[in-house]
Amino acid sequence: MTDESLYLTLIKVFAPLSLISIGGGQSIVGDIHYQTVSLHHWLTQSQFIDLFAISRAAPGPGALLTTIIGWQLASWKGAMIASLALFLPSSVLAYFIIRVGHTKRDRPWYRWVQNGLAPVATGLILGSSLVVLRGTTGGLSPWFIAAIAAAIFIRFAKTHPIPVLLAGGCAQVMIGFFFGPN
Amino acid sequence: MPAPQSPQKVPLIQLALPFCKIGLTSFGGGLSAWVYREFVTMRSWITEDEFLGALTISQILPGPNIVNLAMNIGYVLRGTIGSLFSVLALMIPPIVVIILMSVGFAQVDQYPWIHEFMEGVAAAAMGMTASVAIRNIRNSTKFGYWPIGISALVVSGIFIMKWPIVPVVLMVSIIGLLIAKNQHKRASIINEDGQVK
Repeated sequence: MTDESLYLTLIKVFAPLSLISIGGGQSIVGDIHYQTVSLHHWLTQSQFIDLFAISRAAPGPGALLTTIIGWQLASWKGAMIASLALFLPSSVLAYFIIRVGHTKRDRPWYRWVQNGLAPVATGLILGSSLVVLRGTTGGLSPWFIAAIAAAIFIRFAKTHPIPVLLAGGCAQVMIGFFFGPN
Repeated sequence: MPAPQSPQKVPLIQLALPFCKIGLTSFGGGLSAWVYREFVTMRSWITEDEFLGALTISQILPGPNIVNLAMNIGYVLRGTIGSLFSVLALMIPPIVVIILMSVGFAQVDQYPWIHEFMEGVAAAAMGMTASVAIRNIRNSTKFGYWPIGISALVVSGIFIMKWPIVPVVLMVSIIGLLIAKNQHKRASIINEDGQVK
């Protein structure tokens, strides 16, 4: 693939996702996975999981996953193009809606629009996490780790994420060590 | 609802600094709590009502919530240029950090256990993400159980059926909006009749 066509494809993949990422970047991780691994074969399954884990362990919005996918494919230019493709369309749309919405937030329709869209965002967030889990290669143990982490964060919402994420990583290494690769 | 205070003219650099800090210290989510702390609690630059309004808008708009929230607060405080400064201050530092982290990762990725480790990190992160959704589901039944059905439709569409995300979101959003609108209309009719539900 030439550079230009790669850049164009990056934009074609990420710009539409930008506009439907209601509920935040988490909601489109499932589709980013599908596009980059299954459809365009830019990344292997294991590369995707590595980048995804880096994006979660790094500071900043989780949607920076896109930035490092771009980086992986085409260095600084790829990182820039992928980031702009993911952040610019939604930001421009948000900017204009914020301008207009500034005067309208007490209107009754504001509340029912919010009530109608909130469960869609919830479904996207949950569905995305399941899609990524299905993409892991470690058999049942990632599901097990995810379930324990979910239980911790449901029970103790203010838990600092980093220790839990690191514990998840250690648990997976140990499971692999004791039970061998599945 | 109190009228929004006329914003003080916050210097752009002082608007950017808290967002820089939030962008660099926000690990694994929960950023809106940081924004609340910096802008409402510590500096009183915006009111709690303004914050909640901004947060709601940022959640129903596409795009990362935190980016939309930064844009909104920047707009409240300094208009268009404020939006731009806030978003850039929030995004640029963590972009540099995450690229450096991927470069560092490339140095060690020949060891097989590194991938196992990252897979475990990803699994725990997915659990964390799922916990947000599960908490939302538990809080969503204020107006009946239909929101659970809506969330379930989305999950079945993208996870079980493996349909593409865009048409699923569009279709289910329409259903969700219709139900919510209908419910709102019935609620207002009941209120006009003076009946308490």
